[in-house]
Amino acid sequence: MNLEKVVFGFFIVLAMTLNFGFFLGDIDNPSHHHVYELYAAIVVSLIATVLKFGDRTHVGAILLSTSLAADLQLITAAIMWASLTGTMNESDLITYIVSLSGGALMANFVSVILLISETISQRR
Amino acid sequence: MNSILFLILRRLRWPLILIIVSFAISVIGLSLMPGLDAEGKPWHMSIFDAFYVISYTATTIGYGEIPYAFSRAQRLWMTFSIYLTVITWFYAIGRIITLLQDPGLRHAMTMERFASSVRALQEPFYLLCSYGESASLLAKALDEKGMRVVVIEAQQERINELELSNTRNVIPSLCADAKLPENLVRGGVHHPLCSGVVTLTDNDEVNLAVAVAVKLMNPDLPVLARAERDDIAANMASFGTDHIINPYTLFGDQLAMRVHAIGTYILHEWLTDTPGDRLPPPEYPPLGRWIVCGYGRFGKSVIQNLERERITATIIEAKPELTGCNTCIIGSGADAKTLLEADIHHAVGIVAGTDNDINNLSIVMTAFELNPKLFVVVRKNKRHNSVLFKQFNADITMQPTDIIAHECLAHMISPLLAQFLTLTRSQSNEWSNKVISQLVEVVGENVPETWAISIDQRNTPAVSELISQGMTVTLENLTRDPVNRDDRLDLVPLLLSRNNQQTLIPALSTPLAEGDRILFCGRPAAKSALPSLINNTKTLTYVIDGIEIPNSLVWRWFRNIIAPRKSIT
Repeated sequence: MNLEKVVFGFFIVLAMTLNFGFFLGDIDNPSHHHVYELYAAIVVSLIATVLKFGDRTHVGAILLSTSLAADLQLITAAIMWASLTGTMNESDLITYIVSLSGGALMANFVSVILLISETISQRR
Repeated sequence: MNSILFLILRRLRWPLILIIVSFAISVIGLSLMPGLDAEGKPWHMSIFDAFYVISYTATTIGYGEIPYAFSRAQRLWMTFSIYLTVITWFYAIGRIITLLQDPGLRHAMTMERFASSVRALQEPFYLLCSYGESASLLAKALDEKGMRVVVIEAQQERINELELSNTRNVIPSLCADAKLPENLVRGGVHHPLCSGVVTLTDNDEVNLAVAVAVKLMNPDLPVLARAERDDIAANMASFGTDHIINPYTLFGDQLAMRVHAIGTYILHEWLTDTPGDRLPPPEYPPLGRWIVCGYGRFGKSVIQNLERERITATIIEAKPELTGCNTCIIGSGADAKTLLEADIHHAVGIVAGTDNDINNLSIVMTAFELNPKLFVVVRKNKRHNSVLFKQFNADITMQPTDIIAHECLAHMISPLLAQFLTLTRSQSNEWSNKVISQLVEVVGENVPETWAISIDQRNTPAVSELISQGMTVTLENLTRDPVNRDDRLDLVPLLLSRNNQQTLIPALSTPLAEGDRILFCGRPAAKSALPSLINNTKTLTYVIDGIEIPNSLVWRWFRNIIAPRKSIT
């Protein structure tokens, strides 16, 4: 067992699960989506991105790019939340935010699939 | 560049994670702390506001407590956050700065910058695997001629010297060991525009290693290598090194050429010098008995060549057992005794050819005192001693590095120039003098440009087109000014090569044929004017017939209709 791999897998999976947790619920109901969950999803996703730095393999490159895609959408969602709160209808706003996080969820999902496929193809 | 980026990212992993974690903790804590707004109602900071406050606190900018004054709990948390985030922030900044100053990383960056500047070259270039005395002269001359040069040199001081020197084009340079194939690859051995590799270090082994490596990596690339030892030269030849340059043989050869045919020598020097320079007036070495001090590789070559010119020589050598000299006077030559023993009063010339500059100067000065009529040839080994040699002002100061540079240039400017120079050796001195006076008349006394052209579809489309139409294009046509055909361009055709047949100074009436190669020598202005003549059919026809062909199709058609009528009436 390799501690590095444990940490690595933990953060990638956690990024996806947190993202999923935030995404879950009615898309236009603000009470189903908590701001702290989005916050946690962003932080974990950023950490996962940094952990993927410096891997020169092809899979490593794809993993990094999926993480960057997820970061981009989550941060966009956070910026929207911070800047548009109070200026527009709350349920409309949460719809935008949740749909963005849904996009990030897809990227995180791909990332986890890659992680699993790489683990399975590992010989030793 | 890719690998460097990954290296930086990999090393920055920990600092970045620390920043993210410390920020995450501080931000979430601050948003959870209970606060009061302006009206005294309970209030929680939003995550965005908390992030904003932590960001300016961590970077020590510190705007204060916004939007409302903090409660005690918020201040408590801020105190904790300051220590947590500021410390991690400075740690990360420190790591980034350390990383940028890391010698390994800087080295990788220099290598990469060099390789990419070589890759970006769009013109033919030569790779010089040293920047010693001869290579620096060579680089200067090539640069003056507008040719691109790339330098790999193992000593940083010489690279600095190159960077400080004033060149027309940027010369990409790298401080690295040229023996390593990877450095040669960085220097452009595989580059499609690399026209040759020149290795002129004073270490035969290095030259051999470079020559062999280049020939293995890219067998078609011409290699010019310096070799002093015969076994190394043979080894280089077995790998197909194109030109092996032995400075000692070359010097002897040139000295002999001076004695034997000064005209040929001047022609040789003149055509391979830096354009724009002036040649010093030549000295004529006298015939008679000579004294040669030093019987090393240099002295041997001198004596061999002097004997070929039927000049007898007395040898003075300090260590005869080392150099294998049988009939020599033992001594350094720097003292009057040995010189008198060599009968200095009845000698006509002296060659001071040891590998020590101070000894050489001492020899010629003692000799000069004993016999002021002596013709003095002195060997200069190090360029930095130039001042001393200038002070003494010998009849001939021979510097191996100069000779090497000239020889390389002869091969690098064009293979035709090397052929021309070889052919001139078999010509008489009178012939050479005639050529020189002819050249001086046209191109002046400054060193001219020398260049070669091939008559074919690609290089001279206009000439090829007219020839294929059955017109006769003569060499004379190419010497006309494209602006005004009554004026002449300041150039002289030196050599015409057709089907491996070489014609020296071809007559101007010679008709050109497809596949001809011509070596020209002329003023820079003529060199830049020639392309418009050989690339542009309109200009060439004007120069031949004095007829301006109309540019547009309509006008040409119109002219075709008019022209026959004119001929009828």
